[in-house]
Amino acid sequence: MNDPVQRVVIVPATIESIDVVQEEFADWWYEVGEPNVATRFKFETAVVEIATNIVEHTHRAEGSSGRGYSLELVADATTITAVFSDNGKPADIDLSTVTMADVDNESGRGLALAIAALDSLDYRRANGRNIWTLVCKR
Amino acid sequence: MTSIDVHEADGGVVLAPSGRLTVVTAPQLRSAVAERITAGDRIIIVDLSGTDFVDSSGLGALVSCLKSARQAGGDLRIVAPTEQVSMVLKMTNLDRILQPRASVADALRD
Repeated sequence: MNDPVQRVVIVPATIESIDVVQEEFADWWYEVGEPNVATRFKFETAVVEIATNIVEHTHRAEGSSGRGYSLELVADATTITAVFSDNGKPADIDLSTVTMADVDNESGRGLALAIAALDSLDYRRANGRNIWTLVCKR
Repeated sequence: MTSIDVHEADGGVVLAPSGRLTVVTAPQLRSAVAERITAGDRIIIVDLSGTDFVDSSGLGALVSCLKSARQAGGDLRIVAPTEQVSMVLKMTNLDRILQPRASVADALRD
């Protein structure tokens, strides 16, 4: 059994952080060596959507206030997991009510896309932090 | 960083974003398309063959550009999406209103 492949990324909650997250994701994915590209596309899409949600929520709630977030990526033999953590204000989100926007809408697809791409998406508030857990089975 | 190659074609204009089309770069596509519509172009072809990755912000920009083109009496057509882009178009049902064409020539013929 191979050891889990792990990477931790800590970035400021800025739009530009999405590029950093994707660069780190690409390096980590190479290290993981998962051959199924569909798994990568789904998981990376979900990771980008949640990172964008965190950045946009932080800006809406607090402006540019020097907030940041962390992302921990872990792949073991059966599961690929991403955990986002940020110390921003609580995200007022009920994931059970999320639906895909109609085709004419210009926004409102991010969370629905993440949910559709993953085996599970969980949001909780713990110790003053927002915690998002994204899981894909390999 | 995404760059958008813009070139004239017979009957339209072709915009080819390379790299990732996300919240970081979607505003560039919106303004490039708006510029071409203001300049008088009506058939906007977005060549996605060099676009590796699109997120919901990139999709939102495509929907917005499609609306702008149609409001101006024209159309927006997408060409040759890569694997991840095809996947998100299907997952969001946007392949119904943004039906991919195989080539720029096909998109210009419609």
